[in-house]
Amino acid sequence: MTTASARPPLLRPRRALLGGVSVALAVHLRWPVRVVRIAFVCLVFAGGAGILFYLWLWALTPLEASADGVAPVSRRTPVAALLAALAAGFVVAEFVVSADGRYTAVNLALLATIALAGSAVAWTLTMDGSDPTRSARYGTVVRTAATVVLLLAGLVVLLSRPSAYNAVLGVLAIVAAAGVLLAPRIVTLWTDLMTERSARIRQEQRAEIAAHLHDSVLQTLALIQTRAGASSEVARIARAQERELRDWLFAEDVPSAADLATELREIAAIIELDYAVRIEVVTAGAPVVASAALVGAAREAMLNAARHAGGEVSVYVETTAGAIDVFVRDRGPGVDLATLPDDRLGIRESIIGRMTRAGGAATVGPGTGPGTEVHLHLEAARD
Amino acid sequence: MTSVLIVDDHSIFRSGLRAELDAGLTVVGEAASVDEAVARIEALRPSVVLLDVHLPGGAGGGGAEVLTRSAGLLESVRFLALSVSDSAEDVVGVIRAGARGYITKGSSGAEVSAAVVAVASGDAVFSPRLAGFVLDAFGAVAGERAERSDELDRLSAREQEVMRLIARGFSYKEVASELFISIKTVETHVSAVLRKLQLSSRHELTVWAQQRKLL
Repeated sequence: MTTASARPPLLRPRRALLGGVSVALAVHLRWPVRVVRIAFVCLVFAGGAGILFYLWLWALTPLEASADGVAPVSRRTPVAALLAALAAGFVVAEFVVSADGRYTAVNLALLATIALAGSAVAWTLTMDGSDPTRSARYGTVVRTAATVVLLLAGLVVLLSRPSAYNAVLGVLAIVAAAGVLLAPRIVTLWTDLMTERSARIRQEQRAEIAAHLHDSVLQTLALIQTRAGASSEVARIARAQERELRDWLFAEDVPSAADLATELREIAAIIELDYAVRIEVVTAGAPVVASAALVGAAREAMLNAARHAGGEVSVYVETTAGAIDVFVRDRGPGVDLATLPDDRLGIRESIIGRMTRAGGAATVGPGTGPGTEVHLHLEAARD
Repeated sequence: MTSVLIVDDHSIFRSGLRAELDAGLTVVGEAASVDEAVARIEALRPSVVLLDVHLPGGAGGGGAEVLTRSAGLLESVRFLALSVSDSAEDVVGVIRAGARGYITKGSSGAEVSAAVVAVASGDAVFSPRLAGFVLDAFGAVAGERAERSDELDRLSAREQEVMRLIARGFSYKEVASELFISIKTVETHVSAVLRKLQLSSRHELTVWAQQRKLL
């Protein structure tokens, strides 16, 4: 009992000569690999039992687990090339027996050729397709060889004796040859179709979840914000949560992270968590890549608004072909640059200085009505 | 006295909103589905319907379906759309179906009340986000400008200015004093933009409409 449980499990390695069955069996039984291989070869002569046993173990033995889960399997034996070579051998045999006039043998050889060449092609498409040690060129060479072999086999049959039966077989061989040439394309189409289909199913599921959450959770979060008062702690948490959920639900619609509007929204979300403020970011125009100076100045302006004004803050980003404009507007007590103490670096350095150095402009001032509006302007980069 | 009908499928939200509305507004009823809403609007004839964009029942068209089915009453009953999000997809559909404005569900009771009063007096309610979308959709950002006043597919220079200021967070009053015009003129411009938003056949707008199966 203890010896049985102490045995290593029966697992096929991912780097193997053919199927990894011999190595698996050798490790499991603690025999030398060579002995196992010789045993298999000997069993082949017992009415093909070795082949059947090998295939049976190959089908039923699990693969060894890999560290990252999806490590490819590589096989040292060029099975596809061997199958194609064997098919070529049968074509030669077919030619020899057709010269002798043994037509039944010709047909058998032709069937063997079709089966072997087909297997070779199937092997290049499935087993070798995921094997990193087999190049795409190798697959093409094997498939071309299989095509030539099939065409030759078909011609030999057609020319050997003109009978309806032979004609059918010959045409079959030629059709198979055409099929081989088209096989990779068909496989690609099929896998594309499957990928597209599963992607669509995933998307549908996501849409369903989104619709459900939209109707329940988002509504509740909105209600919390209404009832708790716009700038209260609870409302801010609900708002942050709502934003996160929305980002996750509608992730496909979100432009790349380098987009100016997205970055400003993220900054707004962070500021909202720290201050009693509600920042609304509105955008118009095509998405643009954010320049560090502009984002930095806008962040400073939003922080100032949150710190000194609070309440509602409006951010408006307009991107035209020639320039980017960012307006940050609060409804606080307002600020007068002339009376501002010199040690207040926020506006003078972080906003105006930064924009000037970047080749843009910043104006800070009380707009119409209460509050302060910071206007950042940056000409688009000319190439 | 402005009579209000609240249409939303969440009873908590309806009662919350009812409690928060100003004293000057009378809630005459509530409805929770498309069919119920259409029947109540027909029976009660409120001055303003607070209409949730996402609504169950009917043919699945949500708030926009209520609007299309109540199309005959649009002259006397004004619709203010309520949406949990202010994404353009949600909003443009109901606006094109005939709503006079929209407001997000996160807005405070005072904000909703002010919007109801504005809509009841025939004005349009534009949020900064909608103004931004309008500037985008009508090509104002790209520099397109209407040459004649009857052009539906582009905004006039003045309309663009008004929309820009609203997008920057200005109230109508602030827009008026910034542009040295009267509030009434601002309201006229906003209403004109709303009309264009509803009637224009610009590609950007028809795409939204088609996605929401409004055409």
